[in-house]
Amino acid sequence: MEYVLSVIVLMGIYIILSTSFNLIIGYGGLISIAHPIFFAIGAYTTGLCSLHFNTFPLVSLLLSGAAAIVFSLMLSLSSLRISGDYLLITSIGFQLGLLEVIKHLGFTGGASGLGNIPNVVIDLDRSGFFAASSVSIALLVVLFIRWILNGPYGLLISAMRDDEVAFVALGRNAMKIKLVIFAIGSGCAGLAGGLYAYYYQYVSPEQFEILQSSMILTMVVVGGMGSQWGPVVGAVLLLFMPQAIGFLNFPPSVMAPLQGLIYSLLVIIFMFLRPQGLLAARKRVQ
Amino acid sequence: MTFEFLLQILWTGVAVASYVVLFSMAFALILKVVKIWNFTQAGLMGASFYTIYICLNYFALPLLPAVVIGYGVTVCAALLFNRWVIETLRARNSSSLTFFILTLVISQFMIYFFALCFGTEPLSLSKNIMSGVHLVGGIVISNWDLQAVGLTTGVLLVLYVFLNQTNMGQFMSAVADNASLAKLYGIDVSRVYIYTFCIAAFLMTVGMYLFGLKVSMIPETPLQMMLFAVIATLLGGIGNIFGAALAAVLLSLIQALSIFVIPSKWQSLILYVFLFVTILFFPQGFSIAKLKSLLQFKRT
Repeated sequence: MEYVLSVIVLMGIYIILSTSFNLIIGYGGLISIAHPIFFAIGAYTTGLCSLHFNTFPLVSLLLSGAAAIVFSLMLSLSSLRISGDYLLITSIGFQLGLLEVIKHLGFTGGASGLGNIPNVVIDLDRSGFFAASSVSIALLVVLFIRWILNGPYGLLISAMRDDEVAFVALGRNAMKIKLVIFAIGSGCAGLAGGLYAYYYQYVSPEQFEILQSSMILTMVVVGGMGSQWGPVVGAVLLLFMPQAIGFLNFPPSVMAPLQGLIYSLLVIIFMFLRPQGLLAARKRVQ
Repeated sequence: MTFEFLLQILWTGVAVASYVVLFSMAFALILKVVKIWNFTQAGLMGASFYTIYICLNYFALPLLPAVVIGYGVTVCAALLFNRWVIETLRARNSSSLTFFILTLVISQFMIYFFALCFGTEPLSLSKNIMSGVHLVGGIVISNWDLQAVGLTTGVLLVLYVFLNQTNMGQFMSAVADNASLAKLYGIDVSRVYIYTFCIAAFLMTVGMYLFGLKVSMIPETPLQMMLFAVIATLLGGIGNIFGAALAAVLLSLIQALSIFVIPSKWQSLILYVFLFVTILFFPQGFSIAKLKSLLQFKRT
């Protein structure tokens, strides 16, 4: 039971990550793969706040989201004037550069990571509590993003993504929308990071490397980029599938690359055979 | 700090830059002619290294045949990638995002495959990464340094002659400028792409051979080295293969000389700072005119 609950916690966290990433890449059309760095910033913020200031958990989570938004603005304000290929490369550089900084700072625990993050659930069933919290927050994030996308702001986002030149010609501010999308998506990733830090009580830079980008991207691509429920399906499927090979009892040195191999192979297959993903994005009604 | 010490750092920087120059040129060449950001290069570099490693350690082949087989495997992988991935995506009119994701994911697939087969322990092509040294005017010059600088210079010269003096080199330039127009003039564009991948595979193999004799490698190492190649390509100016080579040398020297200014643990961060500055201020490559205009803008 404990094992199942831990998978559910992870599932909630990855639903938040993939749904928010889908907002940036699938709806905003902003080709950035730096999502894990905002996840990391959230995790480290919660870890540091809990360790040094003993902040109330909810406050820590909110601060995690806020810190991720601040860092997202650092990236987006400077680099959103470029787009496409250049933005993607900048985002890789931003992610790896910040991780390099985290690896060498003393107060973040350096390369060995930040441990001893206090346990905030004492009297209750810890795993059950985190599973319920993680799924609830994931549901809130999904509904929040759906609310944005189905409202008037969602129409603006779609219009900007489909034809930015025409959108700007109509007097709309595309840059502002990009900044907002980027900030919301990154803020949600920060929130997921906070949850992650509280549950595992340990964070290290290597958990947020480029392979994490690949994992989140896989969830979005397999589920369906630009589809509202696609990333949720992608996250659930890709988290449950490796559990199947988990029972093969391979050593970790085999298991980790094998899982990576399956993830990347899935993306390759999907991009060739079903590029629109499992749940294709809805076609616009003319 | 003595003058000799400075010269030593400069020489070591130039020698170490040799394989980075080759990787940067391979990346820049494919970007120029085929017009894709070929992140699969990291996987191809890994294929080259591990093939040579297998030939040397499992079949006990001499170095030269091992490198030739390494090249053969890299070329095959590159051509398969061109045939099954690039051509398919082109035929579908896929977006640049699809190209990006797929090249990156194929690279990661290959890296995971190497991690599964060879583990994550560092491996080297040579049993002893130390080579004999000569003392010239107070500067230590190793045999590897001489081999690396000599081989890279030779490859650069051959590539320069090939690109400028042969028909295929001219065809490559034509396809790089305008592939559709080149086709109208009767140039076999697919053949040009095949040649481009063959040359890029050659550059990668020579680079991995030099790298493998000097440094140990884990499956993820090529991914980090490729980032260096991307920055050098951007800094040199997209479409300028020899500009990328020059940028790679300069970046290596800046990294080497940075120990005078910043602690060595922050040395690797310089690369990311350069990436950021290059993309934001010099997306078309570094130029004095652009630098002047930026400074002028700051003053006003």
